[in-house]
Amino acid sequence: MIKVENLYKRFGNHVVLNGVNFSVPEGTTTVVLGRSGIGKSVLLKCIVRLIEPDEGKIFINGIDVSELSIRELNELRKDIGFLFQSAALYDSMTVKENLEFPLIRHTELSEEEIDLRVKEMLRLVGLSEAIDKMPSELSGGMKKRIGLARSLILHPKIMLYDEPTTGLDPVTSKEIAKLIIQMQEKFKMTNIVVTHDMVVALSTADRILLLENGKFIFDGTPEELIKSEIEIAQKFLSTTLD
Amino acid sequence: MKLTENINNFFSTIGGLTNFTIRFFIEVFRPPYEISEIRKHMDELGVKTFSIVSITGFIIGLVIGMQTQPVLARFGAEMFLPGMIALSVIRELGPVLTALIFAGRVGSGIGAELGSMRVTEQIDAMEVSAVDPFRFLVVTRVVATTLMLPLLTIYVDFIAILGGYVAVIITQNMTFSYYIQLVLDAIRFSDIIPGVSKTFVFGFVVGIVGSYLGFNAKKGTEGVGKASTTSVVISSLLILLIDAVLVRLTLIIFPD
Ligand SMILES: Nc1ncnc2c1ncn2[C@@H]1O[C@H](COP(=O)(O)OP(=O)(O)OP(=O)(O)O)[C@@H](O)[C@H]1O
Ligand SMILES: [Mg+2]
Repeated sequence: MIKVENLYKRFGNHVVLNGVNFSVPEGTTTVVLGRSGIGKSVLLKCIVRLIEPDEGKIFINGIDVSELSIRELNELRKDIGFLFQSAALYDSMTVKENLEFPLIRHTELSEEEIDLRVKEMLRLVGLSEAIDKMPSELSGGMKKRIGLARSLILHPKIMLYDEPTTGLDPVTSKEIAKLIIQMQEKFKMTNIVVTHDMVVALSTADRILLLENGKFIFDGTPEELIKSEIEIAQKFLSTTLD
Repeated sequence: MKLTENINNFFSTIGGLTNFTIRFFIEVFRPPYEISEIRKHMDELGVKTFSIVSITGFIIGLVIGMQTQPVLARFGAEMFLPGMIALSVIRELGPVLTALIFAGRVGSGIGAELGSMRVTEQIDAMEVSAVDPFRFLVVTRVVATTLMLPLLTIYVDFIAILGGYVAVIITQNMTFSYYIQLVLDAIRFSDIIPGVSKTFVFGFVVGIVGSYLGFNAKKGTEGVGKASTTSVVISSLLILLIDAVLVRLTLIIFPD
């Protein structure tokens, strides 16, 4: 379970997060909606301490993340999968090496077991044939899927998705949304999905938050979002009709 | 103002580099060691620089030989030519020129590589997967450059002495074995040790400067380019500065 209390973050004079509060119950999916540049990625990065917030507290399973030593933080991070907006595949390594990277360093698995796990993950994301490719040979959608496979390979308990479908066509987007739901069913994780893709939002969310001007201006179920009168919410919804 | 900004930049770079260096020495001796990654980088460095340092080495020897020959001839001291070539190469030109080429090829490469990893969030990705990117990316590269440059320099010294022989036979009749004999007679241990040892320092400088600038590259492709070019400029300058200091130091330690 993830709990964020009174989170503040500014860069220079630019206030990005201005008192953010929310919690994600164990085994559920919370979607964070918001326009480009509003601070969604910053929020996710604060949760894994890639960015230090100016103020506020983040609890993961009741533990205050800011109090952890580097070693404790790394233990915690092994239980968290993070899909980067840019996929962030290691571009000097093959797909296989990308997926092996966390396994070699964090598990006692034998070479054969690692091999099996890599192939299993690739099968799950439907890219078994890409195993020996370099990231530069992959399309944007393929990169996202490999990124997904890599972030899931340690079977994390928490999964953070940063715009899993941005830059992809609607068909591939739907496939990724399906994949997120499928992974949720398989691994029963606690998820935060950051997106401005309404298809992903409505199909994956137990709960939706809408970030605007550093705060959440909506917090409710997908059904409540559809009924809400909030202008930006309506604008987001209208994109699904296009 | 532009100037004060530059001065500020300069000092914050020096400060950052110092911290980075301290962090390197804390991390480098702590297991687990990424031996296979270090070897991979050393291989790449060798492949990347082998042909250019070979050519340069040969030409340095040749040119030094051709330049020195008439000067020695003026004093009727042509017999000293092989020794002069070897001493110039081993004491100064081999180490410094190899280091400068290394800074140009390898320093810019490390700056660009780590810079693009920073900009495309690969370094962040490594961090959230609980692998310390400083240890995996920086320490391995700096160890590789520190060990590789001395090896390259020794190789360049040999090639340059070979090039020097070509300069010698342009004007004199001398067998190769006699040439080598004269070279060996001229050089002492106190010529080789400082020449080679300082290249450990130069190799370290190239690795740490490229890594520091790449690791801290600013967003955007512009940031990557800047990390790459700035690392060549800064590491070359540092190499020359440190060389001046080390030459002075050597003369104190090994007075002739
Ligand atoms: N390291 C940083 N330094 C300075 N400013 C930053 C930094 N990271 C983010 N910002 C700023 O914070 C704001 C929010 O950025 P963020 O990446 O979180 O947006 P986002 O909501 O994820 O947008 P998008 O949907 O385009 O990904 C932006 O204005 C950005 O310029
Ligand atoms: Mg973002």
